[in-house]
Amino acid sequence: MDALEAVAAALWPRRLSSAVPWLMLLPAVVLTGLLVLGLWEMADGSFRTLDTATFLPSDDYSFANYHRAFTEKLFVTVASRSLIGSLIVTAATLVLAFPYSYVMVRTRSAALRKFLLIALFLPFFIGQVVRAYGWLIILGSQGMVNEALGLVGVAPIRLLYNYPAVLFGLVQYMLPFAVLMLAPALTAIPEEMESAAGSLGANWVRTFVHVVLPMAKPGFIGAGLVVLTLSLTDFAIPAILGGGSQDFIANAIYDQFFRTSDQGMGATLALLLVAVGSIMVGVVFALFGAGTLAMGRKP
Amino acid sequence: MKGDRSKAVTLWTFVVAALIMLSAPTLVVLGASFTAGNMITFPPEGLSLKWYAAIAGATDLRDAFLRSLIVASICTAVAIPTGTLAGIALAKYRVRFAAGVQVYLLLPFTVPLIGSGIGLMLIFGRWGVLGQLWPVGVAAAVINLPFMIWAVTASAAALDPDLELAAANCGAPPLSTFLAVTVPAVMPGIITGALLMFILALNEFLVSLLLVDARIVTLPVQIYNSIRSIITPDLAAISVVFIAVAAAAIALLDRLVGLDIFLKSK
Repeated sequence: MDALEAVAAALWPRRLSSAVPWLMLLPAVVLTGLLVLGLWEMADGSFRTLDTATFLPSDDYSFANYHRAFTEKLFVTVASRSLIGSLIVTAATLVLAFPYSYVMVRTRSAALRKFLLIALFLPFFIGQVVRAYGWLIILGSQGMVNEALGLVGVAPIRLLYNYPAVLFGLVQYMLPFAVLMLAPALTAIPEEMESAAGSLGANWVRTFVHVVLPMAKPGFIGAGLVVLTLSLTDFAIPAILGGGSQDFIANAIYDQFFRTSDQGMGATLALLLVAVGSIMVGVVFALFGAGTLAMGRKP
Repeated sequence: MKGDRSKAVTLWTFVVAALIMLSAPTLVVLGASFTAGNMITFPPEGLSLKWYAAIAGATDLRDAFLRSLIVASICTAVAIPTGTLAGIALAKYRVRFAAGVQVYLLLPFTVPLIGSGIGLMLIFGRWGVLGQLWPVGVAAAVINLPFMIWAVTASAAALDPDLELAAANCGAPPLSTFLAVTVPAVMPGIITGALLMFILALNEFLVSLLLVDARIVTLPVQIYNSIRSIITPDLAAISVVFIAVAAAAIALLDRLVGLDIFLKSK
């Protein structure tokens, strides 16, 4: 230990101690720097168009890819499909997540609380591919739902590879995120507030509308934001439950790189998506502060 | 109170719907893995463990699982020191430009996964290191680093500056103080973070898909590729591995820090 101290002291004299925090941050800054390098590389690629004669990116820069991204029908369709889809998913997820968080936070039974937490964490920790695989078994043409319908004489219905299937899968994927971001906001609301509203004659619906929901607003904003960006940019659920016919933006980006081999176009779409995502997060941070996402010292 | 019944009924209707939605895929995969048939049918054609025997003998699945374990280990090994140091620095010191540093360190969170994955693929491709497992592990550490930092800073409330001063006062040199006082104080955060990093890297799909080639597929990618061709019960059996690991991680997390920690308001 003494030897280690001596090495440390030699490497890092005491007079440099004001730089200690920066030295401690350095590895994280370098690691995250890989991402910045990646973004830079993408920016460079996004200005190069694919030369159809050589199938190599062009040497000269142009805005052609960006022009295509906003005008070509395929990209506009995919973008609006993802945007509308993620808005619907966000609304549906919040509607399901609020009662779940509320019961989990307010229940007097520690066992029930633990059960609800485990039911939440298990899918969260299992990963998207396995969960989507479960839905394939349940919703497939020979899946559980259709077999059950067959028993009562209903002909098989196509439940997979359509837009509702993708949205349904996304809501299931997002539910744990939303509940975990809502719960702390609900914990922060004193239960007396609700009893007070009740003793003043408000029924539970009015108490929810006028007391609980307004006070939980920061939680709703955080949860909504996370769900919106994650579902807007998701790849696995549209790929597996959409079966190639319901591509979201991420799938279109993947196809540009691995099917069309148009790296420039793929980089352009990816950068636009990064911009949209960052702007959404930035606006919310600017308006409401980092909230539950803040790291470090409390003010 | 008036209307308590209708409140309970309404809330529980939603809770039960959410519970079914959350648990259905897991339960169905578990059930399907024990089928005796060669296809996944409903109701199942009897019980057997034959698909577990099948995956135990399938070298491609076993290798893919091993590769996922390696990726998760590399990710955790990179993230523990990096995230712990950064977390302590952010929680303990009044860093100049702290807001800027925070925004920068939150980049992996604000940049969508497809963007991070493509960016890292281009960088690693330029450096000529694609086709190996370690870049996949490093990439998993990069994209999940905020979780590690959050976990450490969240437990930094237990960090009492007086304790560190006391240690120094008793003659402990800086490095000893750090290792004997500071690090143990944030240990619950380090454990939570490390567990999260491991599990997230083990399940990591999209970034793996972008960074691996056919020779080094990780298990989620292997499952994804197989789903596309045909749905057989051996995939259910291998998926149960993920369910088991997730269950173990939850039990460990509950034991070490308590799941209730996620309900606390800041």
